[in-house]
Amino acid sequence: MSVRDSLPDRDSDTALVLSVLAVLLGLAIAFTPVTATIPGDLYVFFEVGILFVVYGILVLGLDLQYGHTGLVNFGHVVFFAAGAYTMAMLTAVDSFEGMALGYPWPLGLVAAVLVAGLLGALVGATSLRLRGDFLAIATLATAEIFHTLFINFTDIFGGTTGIFGVPTPLGDIAGTRDATLVATLLVFGGLTALTFAIVARLTEAPYGRVLRAIRADELVTRAVGKPTFRYKMESFVYGAALAGFAGAIFAMYNGAISPDFFELQVTVTVWIGMLLGGASNHRAVLGGLGIIMGLRLLSRFAQNSAPVTAGEFASIRLIVVGLILIFVIRFRPAGIWGDERELEVDS
Amino acid sequence: MGLAQNLIFGLVTGSYIAIAAIGFTLIYGIVNMINFAYGEYLTIGAFIGLLAGGALPLPLPVAVLVAMVGGGVASILLAKLFFTPINHTGPIPMLLTSIGLGLVLRNAIRLFAGRSARYYDTETTTWQFQNVPDLAVGPVDLLGGFFVTSQQLVVVGCALGVFVVLHTVLTRTDVGIAMRAMSDDEALARVRGIDTQFIRNSVWVLAGMLAGLSGVLLGIQTNVSVSTGFSQILQILSAAILGGAGSPYGAIAGAYVIGVALALSTAFLPSSMTGISSAIAFAILVVVLLVKPSGIAGAEVREA
Repeated sequence: MSVRDSLPDRDSDTALVLSVLAVLLGLAIAFTPVTATIPGDLYVFFEVGILFVVYGILVLGLDLQYGHTGLVNFGHVVFFAAGAYTMAMLTAVDSFEGMALGYPWPLGLVAAVLVAGLLGALVGATSLRLRGDFLAIATLATAEIFHTLFINFTDIFGGTTGIFGVPTPLGDIAGTRDATLVATLLVFGGLTALTFAIVARLTEAPYGRVLRAIRADELVTRAVGKPTFRYKMESFVYGAALAGFAGAIFAMYNGAISPDFFELQVTVTVWIGMLLGGASNHRAVLGGLGIIMGLRLLSRFAQNSAPVTAGEFASIRLIVVGLILIFVIRFRPAGIWGDERELEVDS
Repeated sequence: MGLAQNLIFGLVTGSYIAIAAIGFTLIYGIVNMINFAYGEYLTIGAFIGLLAGGALPLPLPVAVLVAMVGGGVASILLAKLFFTPINHTGPIPMLLTSIGLGLVLRNAIRLFAGRSARYYDTETTTWQFQNVPDLAVGPVDLLGGFFVTSQQLVVVGCALGVFVVLHTVLTRTDVGIAMRAMSDDEALARVRGIDTQFIRNSVWVLAGMLAGLSGVLLGIQTNVSVSTGFSQILQILSAAILGGAGSPYGAIAGAYVIGVALALSTAFLPSSMTGISSAIAFAILVVVLLVKPSGIAGAEVREA
């Protein structure tokens, strides 16, 4: 038995090893007095990088729902928001507005995952029987309803201001801003890798085959005796709970939340990432998201030298994002790394 | 403000939602797609009307016609560029494409027009109706009146005109009858020799014209800005689905239900809560999808 045999040979195991390494390294940087210094120009890499790994958890959950089970969830951001708001309302201290109960953050984290999962179960129970495009509309409308509630119920959700004073444990331990950014990127990256490991393990199992069978033909899957609604429901709830987890850690990094972080834009970004990379392939969806986030990074640099105002630049960037979505669907419907036969699309 | 006044607002809101919802539901019934970019067609129409009426300046009725033609042209061009090539791929890619197109159009309009709101220069003649019983308080207060502006009358009048024309087109003309046939069963319609691509194109043009009209009317009521149409899309969608996706008459009924519900919610909610009235349309939409997904008069939307 060689050393090679004891190395992981499945994606899920590799991701698990990477996850543990990244979290340990991140915690080491946070806890030891080693001071990382980031050159000023590179801050943006870390900020976008952290957003990338947080959205990475979102895209993995969404891919479980759409790529594997065929559920068109166009309100993914609401589960992300549910996690973040649960975390903020339960744990924030001295917020300017909104609920701030000041409980310890581990409680907030668990509650965030549960609340998002529960919301997923509610939305799923009521709308998973709808046809694909109507499911998209029902989930989209749910997200819009909640967005309106967040803005209007100031006493509970903090209104347009949001909620301040969310605990930032990693930041508190690490001390300096630079060390915090490095530690956060590593720990969150580790959590994304952990999500990858769990989701990959799930879909490599026979369980994943049932999900893909439902996407391919639900009627046939039911005919061979699989309780398809239960599988769809589980897939939807897992995706929602993952999004809630992502929302919670996002709140713990940011230290504050506001409705601006939870607009339709987030759903669109994650969807484009998934379609661009290739739905139903975990590495591909992360790759696609990486391309979109890379574009965001590039555009941040380009903005400094572009002869337009920040507002105009933002519009141009969103036009490009919209065009990418349109062109991917038209010319690369299976995505860059997707399997056309698997997804049953014709290009 | 009495209940009667709120019902007036509801009727007016219902009227421009209805005009747009007819266009939206025709696209759904015949092209078989939910066009999420449709709100932007309203914005395009509103801006064309504003340019024609303000910059040129043409008289308002002519500007309205220009906006309708502009909306129709924009709609068919966008369909040829973005939707017709992927027609065969099914409803989900079409829906996603329309979401991308909405993003593109919204931001292109913002580049072109900026964020600020603009106003149609219209005469504001208010007709006051006195001695009308205020339904909110019953027969005791007979003196509570309500106001109707001439713009509100124009909006409701245009809507009625659209309904009459639409009904005539759908029941008396070959194109309209072919549209209904295609909406019912496209394969059968093709077998019977209907040029389905021509009908699809006609629907795109018609829907664009209705969007243009609705956009101008909306602009006259409030203002014209980059978010004019986008702020309406979920209400249009709600009206169309409430009425039964694909059914123009259902869409009219759905639009007035949404319009009145919105107006009444503003009346009964405390003033600090008026912001959530927009959520009410979506809440109605979700409830309808759950309870009776086929709407008041529509096709089956459940898979099993």
